[in-house]
Amino acid sequence: MDNHGQTWHLDFTLNDEHRQLEIDPHITLLELLRMKLGLTGTKGACLEGECGSCTVLVDGRPMNSCLILAAQMQGREVTTIEGLAKGANLHPLQRKFIEHGAVQCGYCTPGLIMAAKDILDHNAQCTGEEFLRALEGNLCRCTGYNKILSAVRDAWRETQTE
Amino acid sequence: MPLIGQSIPRCDAEGKVTGDTKFGGDFYEPGMLFARMLRSEHASADILGIDTAEAESQEGVVGVYTARDMEGTNRHGLIIRDQTVLAETRVRYMGDAVAIVLAENEHIAEEALKLIRVNYRPHKPITTIDEALADGARHIHPKGNVMVEKRIRKGDAKGALRNECDVVVQETFNTQTVDHAFLDLEAGCAEYDGKLLTIRASGQWVHEERRLIALALGVPVERVRIIQPATGGAFGGREDISIQICLGMCALKNPGRGIYMHYSRAESMSARHKRHAIRCRYTLGAKSSHATGPYRVPNVEVDVYGVHTNNNPTGAMRGFGAAQMAIAYEGIIDQLAGKLGMDRVELRLKNLIRSGECVTTRQVIPNATPIDCLHAALARFARIDHSVLNPESGIRESLSAWRLRNYETQAAHLRRGYGVSAICFGLGYGDNFPDTSRARVCFNSQAGLEVYSGAVECGQGVINIIAQIAAEEMGMPIGCVRVTVADTLLTPESGSSSATRQTYFTGTAVKMACAELREQLFDIAGAYFGVHPFEVVIEDGILYNKNDRSQKMSVGEVFALGLRRGHKLEATGIFKPPTQPENHETGLSQLAFITYLFGAHIAQVLVDTETGEVSVERYIACHDVGKAINPQQIEGQIQGGVAQGIGMAVMEEVIFSDHGKLLNTGFTDYIIPTIRDLPQIEVVIYEGNDASGPYGAHGVGEPPLIGTTPAMVGAISDALGIPITRTPATPERIWRVIQQAGTLRQRP
Repeated sequence: MDNHGQTWHLDFTLNDEHRQLEIDPHITLLELLRMKLGLTGTKGACLEGECGSCTVLVDGRPMNSCLILAAQMQGREVTTIEGLAKGANLHPLQRKFIEHGAVQCGYCTPGLIMAAKDILDHNAQCTGEEFLRALEGNLCRCTGYNKILSAVRDAWRETQTE
Repeated sequence: MPLIGQSIPRCDAEGKVTGDTKFGGDFYEPGMLFARMLRSEHASADILGIDTAEAESQEGVVGVYTARDMEGTNRHGLIIRDQTVLAETRVRYMGDAVAIVLAENEHIAEEALKLIRVNYRPHKPITTIDEALADGARHIHPKGNVMVEKRIRKGDAKGALRNECDVVVQETFNTQTVDHAFLDLEAGCAEYDGKLLTIRASGQWVHEERRLIALALGVPVERVRIIQPATGGAFGGREDISIQICLGMCALKNPGRGIYMHYSRAESMSARHKRHAIRCRYTLGAKSSHATGPYRVPNVEVDVYGVHTNNNPTGAMRGFGAAQMAIAYEGIIDQLAGKLGMDRVELRLKNLIRSGECVTTRQVIPNATPIDCLHAALARFARIDHSVLNPESGIRESLSAWRLRNYETQAAHLRRGYGVSAICFGLGYGDNFPDTSRARVCFNSQAGLEVYSGAVECGQGVINIIAQIAAEEMGMPIGCVRVTVADTLLTPESGSSSATRQTYFTGTAVKMACAELREQLFDIAGAYFGVHPFEVVIEDGILYNKNDRSQKMSVGEVFALGLRRGHKLEATGIFKPPTQPENHETGLSQLAFITYLFGAHIAQVLVDTETGEVSVERYIACHDVGKAINPQQIEGQIQGGVAQGIGMAVMEEVIFSDHGKLLNTGFTDYIIPTIRDLPQIEVVIYEGNDASGPYGAHGVGEPPLIGTTPAMVGAISDALGIPITRTPATPERIWRVIQQAGTLRQRP
């Protein structure tokens, strides 16, 4: 979009780091992450909120970054897939996705992991229904979801017993 | 521990879970130019003129290119190169590319597209088979609207139907247009440095793409390098070329500038080829005690026509042409069973081909295992472990569980149904089409094994298969193996990642190359130990004199010694098994395919007769995979194929308007299965005796999808007591079928 030279001062936290940026007020959070900041781990596949590939955490809750403006992140905390592992230590979800063979082409993987993180962080009680609700907004074309579900369940079990 | 048969985690998974892995769209860098395509707004039109002047004059527009600017053939096409890259005198579908705008940013490119004036003379588009074949129909391509004709003649089908058959069933099946719907949209970048044109974009056969790009652009093939980035699914949808030629054209015209391009979902849907919709008229006759595809049919007469329309081009999709036919042949077998009053499974067990018998095209199959697969699937259905099955009593037990299957539901409007399918699939291209895989192996300076193959990794896991085979064959730890794939500068050609061929073809080439390299190590070590090379063994990267294991050397030591003594220590494997062409008149061939793959599926569904909704209660898929090199990956492939087959059975359909406009261009209206639509998919891995592949492995990419749609359709038909002959069986279609029938028959 033509912004007539206007910019927006964005002050937010990205992957635990305080950031201040001058941005075009029209761009989405996904565009900011991928095209301006080079954080290409967050994917886009439909750009209309159907596939969940672009899921990031905003103040700890999953959101489709293709549907929110970057400017709306003012004062908020954004976590992307790049912010999940602590150094060489993978997050339990990342480890379990590898172990269970939940990764095939891997394009849906970052979005699914971010969507699943919500359930690990916020659900002490989990029946099958909570897992499905957490993951139903994310499309995967390769796996049939079976191994994704077992990876998420296993990661949830592990984090609950820690 | 042997590496073959181990579910070793994917070596490319860590980059994918951390977000480090770069897909085609991830290569954008500031300063790159953006390319956008202008696409036809008519499904059929002559182009009388294109005026690009105003678009070109915009600030920030670097170039506007049309067919006139193309210096090569301007053609592409996987088999027949008749598609224009940029339209010349006519457009043939709504989505045909007409021009490219290259600009400093995406927004400028987008706006400039609107300023290109194309003078079209539109024609009424041809959007159905009947319109395409009608007398006087406008020819979409110069040779007419029948693109391909094939026939099979075996025995005397007409005579047998007339004189020998007690029962004849006839049905017309219609299948829909399907989209691959991979998530990773077409995207990539290119740069020309004055000598080499480098393109990073996802296809399925980098070396063939390089040839097509070079021909279309009129540059020598040696001056083109294709590097496959990580690829987010393909399923046949990347076999036809997409953005590569346009990226290359822009780069050639702007040396030194990076060019970036990506499709939106709507553009991807509108531009890309689809799975063919088919109409199949089927007549099947049988003697009262007996009943193609995996079945024994002595008399066959088949006529196939492929016709051009002004809908989207069609092409490869997982089970290229095979998934559609399976819906028809399994549907007609179910109807035959009904007419014979026989159980569907028993009819299949009686008529599926056995080892030593031939498929429809008269190729004898030494290891035909559809019956074994159906037995194993039935055992799982009965919740019996098939590996401990006594062949005789076990199958009786499974069959009685099948006969006693439960049709009782909680409410009268819910109907349960069961479907069965068998799969028979020719691996590789077949039909004498050149089909070759190559692999090159050598050591790096740390004595790690480097394996180079042109195979494309599109998510299916070929990198792991290559690594496991290489490590096993060399006797080295898998951590010492590094695999490089799909870069035309670095890797030898290994054919396409399609036709379920990479494990079998490239796997064999890798095994051959490693066997040769291992012999070279044995020669060097044998000379050093003072023994014959036959007396050297290698285990876990250490070479031993097998008669005196105190004599040992690491691969690194042998490698260093070999280099000092002038050994090259590298090897190439080439696997190029011949097949034979079909007879033009009869369609018969003694060796149409190098080998065949078999499987059997069972679906259990619940149909809500008030809403037409289908839920899958149980799904069992058994495949003869030969040797399972990595069982976890096999399970993943089977579950993914079943998921796509369920989508094809009940929800997925690309819809065209009468004007040839594709109406559902996004995931809001092109519906694919979510986690809620799929059951636990029960995979039964059957390891048969066909030893022709590497360690006996086959391939498993396509067969799971092929078996699924017919099993699902059979289950829905069983639930309703009405044959479903049109896919997808959406809630609305099922509801209409029920309304048309009036009342559903009572369950026994």
